[in-house]
Order: sequence, then C-alpha cells, then structure tokens
Amino acid sequence: MKTKIFIITLLASALSALQVHAFCGFYVAKADTKLFNNKSEVILVRDGDRTVITMSNDFKGTVKDFAMVVPVPVVLQESQIRVVNRRIFDFLDAYSGPRLVEYYDSNPCQPVFEVEEYSRVALTEAVAENSSMKFLADDADLGVKVEAEYTVGEYNILLLSATESKGLKTWLIKNEYKIPATADEVLEPYIKSEMKFFVVKVNLENYLKSDTDYLSPIQIEFNHDRFMLPIRLGMANSNGEQDMIVYAFTRSGRIECTNYRTVKIPTDRNIPLFVEPKFGEFYKTLFQKSYEQNGKRAVFLEYAWDVSTGSQVKCDPCVGPPPVQREFQEAGVNWAGGWNGETVFFTRLHVRYSRSKFPQDLTFQVTPNRERFQGRYILTHPASGDFSCDAGQEYLRDLQNRRRKEIDELIALTDWNARHSYNYINEFSNRLEDEKNEFPIGLLPNGGGSTPGLILLLISALGVGWWTARLIRERSMA
Amino acid sequence: MSALMLKFQQSLQVWGSVFIKDARHFQIFYLGAFLLFGIIFLDLQSELSRILLFLLTCIITQLIGAAWRGASPSSWKSATITALGLSLLLYSSNFWVIIFAAFVAMASKFLIRFQGKHIFNPGNFGIIAAIALTGEAWVSPGQWGSDIILVYFFGAAALMVLLKVGRIDTSLSFIITLFILEYFRTIVYLGWDWDVLFHKFSNGSLLLFTFFMITDPVTTPKNKKARIIWGAMIAVLAFGLSQWFYIYTAPIWALFFAAPLTALFNHYMKGKTFQWIQ
Repeated sequence: MKTKIFIITLLASALSALQVHAFCGFYVAKADTKLFNNKSEVILVRDGDRTVITMSNDFKGTVKDFAMVVPVPVVLQESQIRVVNRRIFDFLDAYSGPRLVEYYDSNPCQPVFEVEEYSRVALTEAVAENSSMKFLADDADLGVKVEAEYTVGEYNILLLSATESKGLKTWLIKNEYKIPATADEVLEPYIKSEMKFFVVKVNLENYLKSDTDYLSPIQIEFNHDRFMLPIRLGMANSNGEQDMIVYAFTRSGRIECTNYRTVKIPTDRNIPLFVEPKFGEFYKTLFQKSYEQNGKRAVFLEYAWDVSTGSQVKCDPCVGPPPVQREFQEAGVNWAGGWNGETVFFTRLHVRYSRSKFPQDLTFQVTPNRERFQGRYILTHPASGDFSCDAGQEYLRDLQNRRRKEIDELIALTDWNARHSYNYINEFSNRLEDEKNEFPIGLLPNGGGSTPGLILLLISALGVGWWTARLIRERSMA
Repeated sequence: MSALMLKFQQSLQVWGSVFIKDARHFQIFYLGAFLLFGIIFLDLQSELSRILLFLLTCIITQLIGAAWRGASPSSWKSATITALGLSLLLYSSNFWVIIFAAFVAMASKFLIRFQGKHIFNPGNFGIIAAIALTGEAWVSPGQWGSDIILVYFFGAAALMVLLKVGRIDTSLSFIITLFILEYFRTIVYLGWDWDVLFHKFSNGSLLLFTFFMITDPVTTPKNKKARIIWGAMIAVLAFGLSQWFYIYTAPIWALFFAAPLTALFNHYMKGKTFQWIQ
C-alpha cells in the first residue's frame, strides 16, 4: 500500500562543507603564510601501466607563494604534463558524491499523484592573488640535478633528481621553498627508491595572461608498474588529519587500496526528514563516525559504477550529469569513445589520513570488481490528506514505526542527539482514531547498531543450549 | 552438583582430546573464527553465498576424488580447510569463477601428483588458477587491515606450537626471512621509520598466509631443515616480486612457484610422512 512515487536528489554538499585545500604532495608556502593540507582531490586513470594523475589546486593564498613538490617515478616529458580546467573536479564531485534521495508516500485513502524535483548546491571557487616566482639554477654540489624544465600553462615546472635528501632540502630552501624541518627524513626514501621530484611554481606572466582567478589543476602522465599516491610527503608539514578524494577510471573495475582496508561507506539508509537542510553536516558526521569505527585507518568507497558511453543506468538516482566523452578526455581516459567503446569504470574513494595511522603511501590495485555502489540516504515524505479509512489508519501506524526506525538509524550513523525525535515520530498520532497510538517500544534498543552483538548473542546461546542438552542426556544415561 | 561438574569436566576432556588428535579441527576452528570475525566486525564482502559455494564445491569435489582414489572419508575436513582459506582470500562477483576456483583447487589434489602426494597447496592453486585464467577474480591484500588481527594470529601461532600441530617452522622461517629482508630494504636502505615496517608486517593477509597457507603439512617438505630452507626461499621470492615488480599478492605467487620444489627436497632430504590423525 505504500506506493513510493518519486525521487529527488540533492547533491552531497557534504564536501563543500568540508574545508577545501591542497594535494598529496606538499604545498610549501613562503614567509608566514600558514597552510594546512586539509583536503585534496585527485583524478587517477589506470590502464595497464599507463597512469594519469590530475591534481586539484584549491590553493588559498598568494599565487607567488604557491609551490608544490610531488615524487614521480620517471622524468616526465613536456608532452606528459598538461593543465586542465578546474571544472572537471566539480563535475566529478557533483556526479559521484553521496546523495540524498527523497520519496513521497501516496495517501492510501486518495488517488496517486507524482512529483519530481531536482536541486544542486553550487561549489565555490578558490580565489588567489597575483604575483610570481622564478627558479634558481641547479646545484651539483648539493647532488641535485635539474633533469628537465618546462613552462606549462601558468606553471614553471622542474623535474629534479637528487642523490641525498639534505642536498635536496638545501636546494629547495635556497629556491625559497619553505620546507618543513622534518622533510628530509621523508625525502630520503623517495630518493633511494629512484623517484624524481616534480616541482611546480607559478609563472606570473602566463598566469596574468590567463583569464582565470584560480590555479589550474595539473595533469601528469607516465608509464610505470607502480600504482600509488605519495601521501607521506604531504604529512611532513602537518600532523593533523587530511582528506583526499580520489576519482579513478579504469577499464576493468573498481580500484582498491592494497595496504589499507577499503571499506564501503554506510549506504541506503532511511533517515528522518529533518536531516534534509543539514545533509552536508550529516554526511560529515557520518563520515567521521565511520572513520573512527574503522580505527581511523580505512579508505572509504563512496561510489563505484560502470560509466561507459554505452552503459544505460549510471547512478540511481543521478545527482549530476554523468561524465561523457569530454570529461573522459579531460581526465585522460583515452580508450573511451563511441557507443560501443570499451568499459570505463569509475571509483570514488575518500581517505582521511594522518601521520600516525597511515605510515605507508597509498598503493592501489585495479580489480575486476564491477559491482555498483553509491552512498545514498533516503528521505520519505508522508502522504497528506484524510487518513480516516482503514488503510489510512494502518498507514499512520506504519509511519510511526518507520519514523522510529529512522531515528534509530540516525543515532546509529551519527550519534546525533535528536531532540525533537518524539515529536517527529508522533507527528500524526493525533490522527489515529483508536487508543493504540503510543510510542512503540522496541525489544532491543537502537536496532541498527546491534546486529553483530545479536549474532554473537545467538551463537553463545546456541553453545550454552547444546552443552546443557548434552549434560542432561549424559545425566539421564548415568 | 559436584558430580555434574565432574561429568562436565570429563566430557570436556574427551572432546578436547578428540579435537587435538586431528590438526585439521584446529585449523577449521581458527579459519572459521577468522571468517566470522571478518564478517561481523570488518563488514567484509563475505556474502554467505560465496562461502557456501566454496564449501559445497570443495567438499563435493573432494568426496568424488576420494571415492575415485580411495582416500579416507574424513578428508572432507581438508576440503573444508581449503574452502575456508579460499573464502578468506579470494573474491569474484561471478559465481562460476567461485565454483571454478574451488573445483580446480580440489581437483589439483587428485590430478597433479608426484610419488603419491599432491604437489600444490590446493587453496593456493585455486587462487592462482582463478586469477590467471579467468581474469574475474582478485585477492584484496588490504582487506584485513593491520590491527588487532596481529594479536589474533600470534595467539593462533602460539597455540600451534603448544598443540604441536601444523608446521610452525615453515611459518617462522618465512616470516623471519621476509622481516630481515624488509628491514634492510625499508629501514636501513630506504630510511623509512619503523612504523612503516610494522604496518607491513601486521597486515592480516600476510599473517593469514604465513600461519595458515604455507603450513599445509602435505605440500611442505618432510624434512625439518628442508622446510626451513623452503620457507626462506618463498620469502626471498615474495620479497623480490613485491619490491621490484610491485605485485601486492607476492607471497601467494611465490608459494605457487616454490611448491614443485617440495618433491625435490623430499628426494634429497628424507623425513617422516605427515599423518593428520596422531
């Protein structure tokens, strides 16, 4: 009798609610500009050993202070470095973010009607000031060699190789990079692993010529067996927690982390209607709780779907337009194209890392797992009108039960102390005609969170039962 | 009341001695508990259907094979161990691949034999076959995390020593060799902190492999010295594969390649044939 009719969606403004900042290498600011690498976004494309990494630049500060150091496995050619439009990140974020879905109940005493809505929250862009900085020459005494030097878009880019970390640190300091005191300890392992350093500063001239008021994301492409993201360097100047969103495209299926657990974010949960205006806050809290429950050492899966051009359904429901040829090209997915193009599988991971819980860089693998996943939270609006018919009365009782479960779910997901939960549950109880309209009390409190406990309880009950039966039998035999 | 307690104690002892006599009981118990732990607390993608398919296919294949080769009917226990091992490590979203992996694992016991003994660890063989031949299966090395599991496995290892079952010498030789190699590479050469090394070695999948996969008494060399050399060889191979080829499931591949050497070791270094029931 509960005909659920239609859907609405709302974007996970959760992300814009989080602090938006830097990247997995480290931002180094000059002078006193204080920077926290709170959140970064990365697009990864992996096809065989071909890897394309696009790093977002939500740098908030004076442009001339912008500098970035990223370890890369090979010396990149100029053609392997590009700048792309920031739009792609907003696009992918809007498309794959956790979603709030709304359903409308129909009144069992009245005929059916349909509703459809759609809304989105806009993201704000980072604005930066103008100024510039040039590199100094390389220095053989320090063991630092400038392998290549390019100007790409609004950036001056250097590829450095180094023989020892102290030299590299000195070189970076001489070139006016503000390096954290402990950075050389982290630089050392990268140098020994024969990695090169991709060093970026802003080319003011080009920056002024471009019409944008933000720094473009940088895209690099290379072929290497290693499929990883160097997060350790980014933790050299911060002991706090940093968030990173990874949007990954592969041919075969999901990517997952190989040295940390990849965990699905809780999904398909029915939550109370009053969460709607606070959805961003809700998701932020939910994420924090899941993060803590998983020992602060897990990587979270937020979205996984086959987004090939030929694939029909790409989300259920979609919160934004799905990526098509243009986005694929921008991201570096070079195998997509045409209606019978090959599979493009999209994975979105969200990792919150800190120095103490994430000692190793993130390594990934591509799996053949094409199972769909999305972070989805459901609101169900009650029907309106007259409920005096029998079915209507039954509907109201069901509604009460349902809302009680929604409150339990909310508490399980966020630990939020829902003050108006009693009123929410009993909103329609005055329209019930009989006396059985009391707040129903469940057998077990907080149903959503106690499933493991219940299973353990059952197992131990079985064990005790079995032993008792055995003892009684033996006794009667004796 | 005290009579009841006495009865209780006696029956515990009887059951305890039956349990200890067959090493496989211990393995089934630990693997099963581990699987349960993963399902309940780690929320692993351990759908019941996948585990049931592994169990059913393994046991049926084993029973058919046992009837054909005339093996002991109690060999369903070995099949259960293989099925649990597969459930803990191998994933696929295709049911046919699950059935294939389980079938190939058990069939390898009856088909790939040398001097009356099967060569490959059945679970290991099933995993490699499914990954290499179907392209639809995968192992998630990060799935167990790096936490309490450490304690769990060390508990298991200690029990193995105490109960004198399994082949703890292989485990220790493997893990110690790997630790030494990783220590020199990660800490001495690359200069990472100790926590990087500890994080690597508290990986649940690695420990699972160390204490439950390479300890299979039938496919490890009979001679104790040979087992120690063999375990160390697997460690060297796994280390090389992971360091220079970035294969995250390196130990599983290393074991696969080292398995045929067991026959060679058994030829040159004599030892007692393992009996499950002591």
